[in-house]
Amino acid sequence: MKKHCLSLVLAVLLIPATIWAGGKSEQSEDARQSITVYAYDSFVSEWGPGPLVVPAFEKKTGIAVNLVSAGNGGELLSRLVLERNRPQADVVIGISDELLSETVASDLLLPYESAALSQVPAFLHFDPTYALLPFNYGNYAFVYDSAKVTEVPRSLDDLLDPRWSKSIILMDPRTSSVGMGLLEWTVAAYGDAWLEWWKKVKPNVLTIADGWSSGYGLFTEGEAPLVISYTTSPVYHVLYEDSDRYRAVVFDAGNMAVIEGAGILRSSRNIDAAKQFIDFLLTEAQADIAVANIMYPVNQTVELPAAFDFAPKPQVSLMLESERIAKNRDTWLTEWVEVMSK
Amino acid sequence: MRQGKGSGTYGILDMSRFYHALSTPAVVLLTFLFLIPLSIILSKAFVGIDRGFSLERLALLVTDAYTWRILRFTLVQALVSTVVSVALGLPGAYVLATYRFPGKRIIKAICTIPFVLPSILVVLGFVIFYGNNGIVNNLLRMISGSEEPPLRILYTFGAVILAHAFYNFPIALGLISSFWEQLPSRYGQAAMTMGAKRFTVFRTVTLPRLVPAILSASTLIFLFCFSSFAIILVLGGGPRFTTLEVEIYRRARMTMDVEGAAALSLLSIAVTLLLVALHLWAQRAMAHQEEMESPGQRRLERRPESRMARIVLPLYALTTALFVLGPLFGIIYRSVQVPVSRSGDSEFSLRWYRQLFGLEEVAGSAFSVAGSAIILSLIIAAVTACLSLLFATMLAARLRTRSGSKELTMELFAMLPMAVSSVVVGLGYYLVSNIFPGSRSLRTALVVLAHVVIASPFVLRSILPEFRKIPFSYTQASLTLGATVSQTFRKVELPLLRSAMATGAAFSFAISMGEINATLVLSDSNLVTIPIVMYRLIGSYNFAGACALGTVLIAVCAVVFAITESIHRSRYV
Repeated sequence: MKKHCLSLVLAVLLIPATIWAGGKSEQSEDARQSITVYAYDSFVSEWGPGPLVVPAFEKKTGIAVNLVSAGNGGELLSRLVLERNRPQADVVIGISDELLSETVASDLLLPYESAALSQVPAFLHFDPTYALLPFNYGNYAFVYDSAKVTEVPRSLDDLLDPRWSKSIILMDPRTSSVGMGLLEWTVAAYGDAWLEWWKKVKPNVLTIADGWSSGYGLFTEGEAPLVISYTTSPVYHVLYEDSDRYRAVVFDAGNMAVIEGAGILRSSRNIDAAKQFIDFLLTEAQADIAVANIMYPVNQTVELPAAFDFAPKPQVSLMLESERIAKNRDTWLTEWVEVMSK
Repeated sequence: MRQGKGSGTYGILDMSRFYHALSTPAVVLLTFLFLIPLSIILSKAFVGIDRGFSLERLALLVTDAYTWRILRFTLVQALVSTVVSVALGLPGAYVLATYRFPGKRIIKAICTIPFVLPSILVVLGFVIFYGNNGIVNNLLRMISGSEEPPLRILYTFGAVILAHAFYNFPIALGLISSFWEQLPSRYGQAAMTMGAKRFTVFRTVTLPRLVPAILSASTLIFLFCFSSFAIILVLGGGPRFTTLEVEIYRRARMTMDVEGAAALSLLSIAVTLLLVALHLWAQRAMAHQEEMESPGQRRLERRPESRMARIVLPLYALTTALFVLGPLFGIIYRSVQVPVSRSGDSEFSLRWYRQLFGLEEVAGSAFSVAGSAIILSLIIAAVTACLSLLFATMLAARLRTRSGSKELTMELFAMLPMAVSSVVVGLGYYLVSNIFPGSRSLRTALVVLAHVVIASPFVLRSILPEFRKIPFSYTQASLTLGATVSQTFRKVELPLLRSAMATGAAFSFAISMGEINATLVLSDSNLVTIPIVMYRLIGSYNFAGACALGTVLIAVCAVVFAITESIHRSRYV
């Protein structure tokens, strides 16, 4: 009997060990030059840019790319920080300008002033240290259902009108980056008086969703005629549903911008290959990324499909300094919750 | 009650190395894949601003009125959700345990389905069915002719409870009915012979004996609702309804404050473990040993005797069916609709299914992932169900024997995976994933083992009440007749647990089918399962495609559950 149990325990302990050993031999066979790229999940997704960009890069350079879905938004940076002592990634894709301050402070990324940046307009150069390089960007915008809305709101103030009672779907800035984007937008627009807008908008809000996915889903189900999303959101409906029913509105005072950045890890043992990947990302991959992510490319020379005509570009892209965000984010959130949960 | 009977007689088993060794695999697994990474993350709660040891963060949290406010709300909503789910499941469990009727297996299978669905799909299903522009409201509008939606149930506290009940009442139904089926009916019959009314019998004879199963189900439901947040925010209407999990998420994912997340998580673990310990203690105290009847031995009634029951039971069945099937129907309905005009008209089409299975090419994307995701999900879920059943049964065998504090600790330890915020567990998986670089096969094994860790508490809670019920005289008789301890375990005790094991296995299958966090992190995105494809579809605006895949998931699970049900029934024939 004792033998019986012992073998059971041994078996449990040995299974992972043997698989691990097997894994090691698999790895050593691969002598090709390779890099590991961490990206947010929708980049890696079957419908994201990953499956288009990675094979094209591998074909061009012969460098193998191991693309890893490493979490969304802040998770990417959290993971890099947690892995500081055993770094796996060479390149990280998808840390937005919002987290620039924290990213620079972590000192995990290697500054790289790519030649391709000369094709990127100045307002997108959000990181003066070149640790994070912009690869695509978007503008937050209110998207409306043109089957229900005839008189389109033209400013944040217009949204406070009582005729929008229970008509707007927002997202919680504590759990959603789009939600955080709107919070920062109001700070950029109203300065210290930003909370006033939130106090007044409350009766017009149908619900505040946990994330963009559920919020936008509610919107397309017809629960409310207005939702916070991106100026580029209508492009999807035109491209894949052949419908121009959902439209984005740009405000005269400008729309908040979000710029997504990519960077090379200092710990990379293959910095040359990583640099090639970043260059590729900023040049040849731009059109694929824009169409798959439904965001604007940063490279001015890129031609986009006609569907992007339905993504109106705002005259003004609002931004906040990243130090200001890093310093105040927690306070803002606390004040926001205080106002919104009453 | 158990004390008197238990402590002396179980002595033989306590000395048996066999029973001691049984729990080892589960303990090893829990320690390496869960406890160690989790402890590393949680220890960050004690890191002060100056990077040294400090209780500052915890002190700050505990003294903040906001923390207490959200903790109070978290507890209240979890409690109300638990009571409603159990109240809804109890009559169903009665029906399933008392009557035989055609389609019983299918009903049980359907009731387990909500459990498989990722929360975003549940939200969508609710909105499609109950929403202001949903199926119910559009029907009512057609009848009444009014413009405004007549039924406004969403975006309230009630909607949160409704959604939680939809999600969790299967646990109550499954656990209580499989326990109830094996309660001997003769005590009730005796009471009735002596003139007691049916309800009096239920209240005084049956209900007290069901308490262990009810407590088991409540513990699980409570823990589930305690860590819920997506459903609460969207369907509740916003930050008025905030749970601890939202704040943990904020710190871990939005504000780069892993230390703060760890501190908050520590507080939440302390509260939940305290409550779970209370439950476990109560459950032990209430456990009775009694003779067991297998469902096959008892003749179940064909139809209710009293007139009252003949009206009430179908009414209950209809309401529950509407309640469960409504949102499911919403998902299915959306998956076969394509918009044809701008005003929102749509027509029937299988376009989303054709795209899902690669029969129709869509510009710029390869759409044929669904098939392989279904196969992969099925394999992982089946292996998870088998392994978690094995581990949890072995653990249960060890845990039922003694009621000492050591066993209580161990039982708590086994429940831990359910008591910890999935956001924090996710951070722990990063560490695990970081230690094991590379190979796909190892990653697959890690994913399966993580699923086992997540599912084991369920299987354990399904089996343990049943196990404690087995009269020790059975075991004694077997030993006296010359069987070894391990033979007794395999030949006498295990067969009596079949029903509970089937319920536990079905739940662990369902949990694995719906799991997304651990899969994504531990597989380094190499394993694309159904829920991952679903999230990716939604992330790229394709809500209808996600509903189509959701429908496939519903169908696959219905078939699997129906097969499991029929296998475990037919063994008795």
